[in-house]
Amino acid sequence: MSKEGIIFSIEEFSVYDGPGIRTTVFFKGCPLRCNWCHNPEGLEARVQVVKSPNGCIACGACKEVCKYKEGCVACGACIPVCPRSLIRFSGTKYTAEALSKKLLKNADYLSQAGGGVTFSGGECFMQWEFLCEVLTLLKGKVHTAIQTCGYASNEVFCKGLSLVDYVMFDLKILDEEKARKFTGVGTEQILKNFRSLSTSGVPFVVRVPLIPDVTDTEENLKAIAETVAQSNARGVELLPYNKMAGSKYTMVGKVYNPLFDEQKAPNVNLAPFVQRGIKVKIM
Amino acid sequence: MEERVKKIYERLQKREYRNLRRVEDVALSNDCKQISDLALRSARRLYELVAQEQAVLFEEDRIGMMRTITSVPPLLQEEEQKALYLGRFVFDSAQVGNISSDYEGILADGFLKKRALLSVQKEKYATDSKQFKELEAMNVCIDAILLLAEKYRAEAEKMGNTRLAEALKRVPMYAPNGYYEALVMMRMINFTLWLNANKHNTLGRFDEYMYPYFLKDVERGSITREEALALTQEFFIDLNFDADLYPGVQQGDNGQSLVLGGVNADGDPVWNELSELCLEASLSLNLIDPKINIRVSKETPFSVYEKGTLLTKQGLGFPQYSNDDVVIPALCKMGYDLCDARNYVVAACWEFIIPGVAYEIPNVDALNYPGIVLDVIKEKLVGVHSFDELLSEVKARIQSVCFSLAEGTKNIFVEPSPFQSIVMTDCIERAQDISEGAKYNNYGFHGAGLSTAADSLAAVKKLVFEEKAVTAQELICALDNDFNGYGNLRAQCLACPKMGNNDDFVDGIAVALTDCFADSLAGLKNERGGIFRAGTGSAMYYIWYSEKLGATPDGRKKGEPFSANYSPSLNVKFDGVLSVIHSFTKPHLERVCNGGPLTLEFHDTLFRNEEGTQKVARLVKLFVENGGHQLQLNAINRETLLDAQKHPEDHKNLIVRVWGWSGYFNELDLEYQNHIIKRIEFLS
Repeated sequence: MSKEGIIFSIEEFSVYDGPGIRTTVFFKGCPLRCNWCHNPEGLEARVQVVKSPNGCIACGACKEVCKYKEGCVACGACIPVCPRSLIRFSGTKYTAEALSKKLLKNADYLSQAGGGVTFSGGECFMQWEFLCEVLTLLKGKVHTAIQTCGYASNEVFCKGLSLVDYVMFDLKILDEEKARKFTGVGTEQILKNFRSLSTSGVPFVVRVPLIPDVTDTEENLKAIAETVAQSNARGVELLPYNKMAGSKYTMVGKVYNPLFDEQKAPNVNLAPFVQRGIKVKIM
Repeated sequence: MEERVKKIYERLQKREYRNLRRVEDVALSNDCKQISDLALRSARRLYELVAQEQAVLFEEDRIGMMRTITSVPPLLQEEEQKALYLGRFVFDSAQVGNISSDYEGILADGFLKKRALLSVQKEKYATDSKQFKELEAMNVCIDAILLLAEKYRAEAEKMGNTRLAEALKRVPMYAPNGYYEALVMMRMINFTLWLNANKHNTLGRFDEYMYPYFLKDVERGSITREEALALTQEFFIDLNFDADLYPGVQQGDNGQSLVLGGVNADGDPVWNELSELCLEASLSLNLIDPKINIRVSKETPFSVYEKGTLLTKQGLGFPQYSNDDVVIPALCKMGYDLCDARNYVVAACWEFIIPGVAYEIPNVDALNYPGIVLDVIKEKLVGVHSFDELLSEVKARIQSVCFSLAEGTKNIFVEPSPFQSIVMTDCIERAQDISEGAKYNNYGFHGAGLSTAADSLAAVKKLVFEEKAVTAQELICALDNDFNGYGNLRAQCLACPKMGNNDDFVDGIAVALTDCFADSLAGLKNERGGIFRAGTGSAMYYIWYSEKLGATPDGRKKGEPFSANYSPSLNVKFDGVLSVIHSFTKPHLERVCNGGPLTLEFHDTLFRNEEGTQKVARLVKLFVENGGHQLQLNAINRETLLDAQKHPEDHKNLIVRVWGWSGYFNELDLEYQNHIIKRIEFLS
């Protein structure tokens, strides 16, 4: 039997994840640790138990049944005992066959509406074997897209490219030191894959999260625009920072600790792109 | 917005005009009360009310009109009413309402032509005959509306408002000469219907019947687009001035629905400049009336959806879309002539009715799907050997309940409504009050709580019959105890397949239930020779029925509400809107086509840019192309609604869709507010 994938959400009618009406599949696990990450459920590549803090009456029922007080093993014993149904598993295991079957149930609508399926995360290349298997099963049946941070081995990345119809590629920070500080990884591997993408013939756009004083600086946006200008990208999509980013951390037992001024509005600066004749839009 | 219109708009918002209303209730004269013929008494009442109405105009009005009488005195005295109601079926306070007038006809004729026709007709009947009295009553109503017009004409003249004064020299006596006069006449009719105690006065196919007048002005160059827009805005605002006086289950439930687009009686598309103007006017005003409905089909250009979605984005809860490709054939199958079917409009909420030629009661009662399912489970589950056997029992019960619902409509008592009769197509020709019937006299039943019923049966099928995870006795015991002490079982119930996830296991049950509903009504006739139509709406029954209903096997606890209209259950996690559309287009909608939309809630952030709005428009098109019959979309934000509960003063203009109509959130009872908050949002 082929390897199972771990998915933490499947969103139908996702409208900001590629052309047309799409279903977006969120893979669990990410090699980056972006300081502003708004989807901490996507960080760990394993099934987790998550608990929504809103509405908790601190009745203690979940603690009472817990046999692994030193460290959660995601046994799920606490899930049914919560009187407010606030606890759930994050992450569902799918075989490639099961996932593609589920996705294809809506293939007719997706195709009619000029859309398809988008694989996002986390980082979908973290589970690349599973990703490639699903893409193979969907090939020719529904339009596919991936949304990626670009951090993967070049071999794996190119294999993925050979199977997909559209790519949304993140360029976050091009300064090496800052990249390591704010995302946990350097730029070398990402840029290498970006070059592969650019010459692959697969249509793609570049996505830039606008984080106040981190990615939205003139210097960074210029560097990104320069890189984009030299590529075959169809355009750039800017994603202004959303103050709700920290809201899911408590749920996964983590603390949100932004190293930037969250209250500051991101600088939505289109000029570096417009000046270079790059199509740019704000999402 | 033009300065003049802005002033009118501000007047509405400030509500100070309401101080001009009479403080004391008006009473009818003893002469009026003593008229034994109810049609004549009704006409007399209208005349006396008009006589006591005071024309109020403001400098900026070009159309105007506002009520100064707050409540319409009842036609019947208490004792008399008791006697008349005894043993009779009384629906909606025995008032004629929720129908659509023949605006096209009355605009073309004017009231004087109607009067001439009345004289001719009266000649044919003895003076003491019922027909003569009914015709005479209509005649008195014409006196009433002409008196009303004269009062406003005199007031306009006094104020130096020559344009309105001139218009009122022509309308409503004669056919309007252009768009402006047509609007004045429409306002006068609308005003009079409300003053005549008619309920749920719909506005019908506005862009069709008004278009000839609009076109006339455009062709002779007597109106600019800006003027036409300003006048349309004014007309729309005017529909809101007295809305707090209009009766309904909740404020806002007044039925002022307006239909755009679709095809005309010959099958040609109606969509025109005026349709666009109406959308633009509605978009600029952000008011609950009129409630915009758009008739669409596979032929509808995408731009119509795009423009409609801008209204949805505004959070108004409309436009509501009806699909001609499903509705027209469905109406033909029910026995409507093709030209009438093509002319359909929606009643107050979403029921499909025909203007002018129908006195139908499309909301006469409602089937309580979950109530039936629960009763059958409690009575029969222990004895049956298979799910199919259980389903057969449910079907048999639906059939017997439908029969009783139909029986319950017999011996109806409705007050005559001579004014409404004048503005129907052929009441004068037939010498018959509209309350006694028309060409079409069908009744419709809503079907409330379909998803709760299908989900409940699916849970029983899976847990009791397939997995044998629970015995029939245990399940019934858990239900009787409202799942208290049965937390695990409830979790299992909640995890069973739910309608809305494109899962044939449960969707198939919904198909069987809706088919059974249609089958059960097939062949039944009401006492007026009409049929009974099965529907997918809920009206307020999603609250009324659920409040009294115990826990259901889908995991719903006692008293928890059903979803409104034709929608997935509340508080269930769904795969998403595409699966919902798949599920909800599986039933044979042409067989349950009384009306009742799939209702989807979207978080308002979905509409944050053009891309989101475009894609919502695409989704509507997708729904239509895949055989959906009716769709209502709401852009809501849970946080905003919660804040509005805490700080109503900051959200005076917050509009929400309730079941078939939009209202101000602050004006709704708490249970209706809470239901809206609970509804699923398809976040993106």
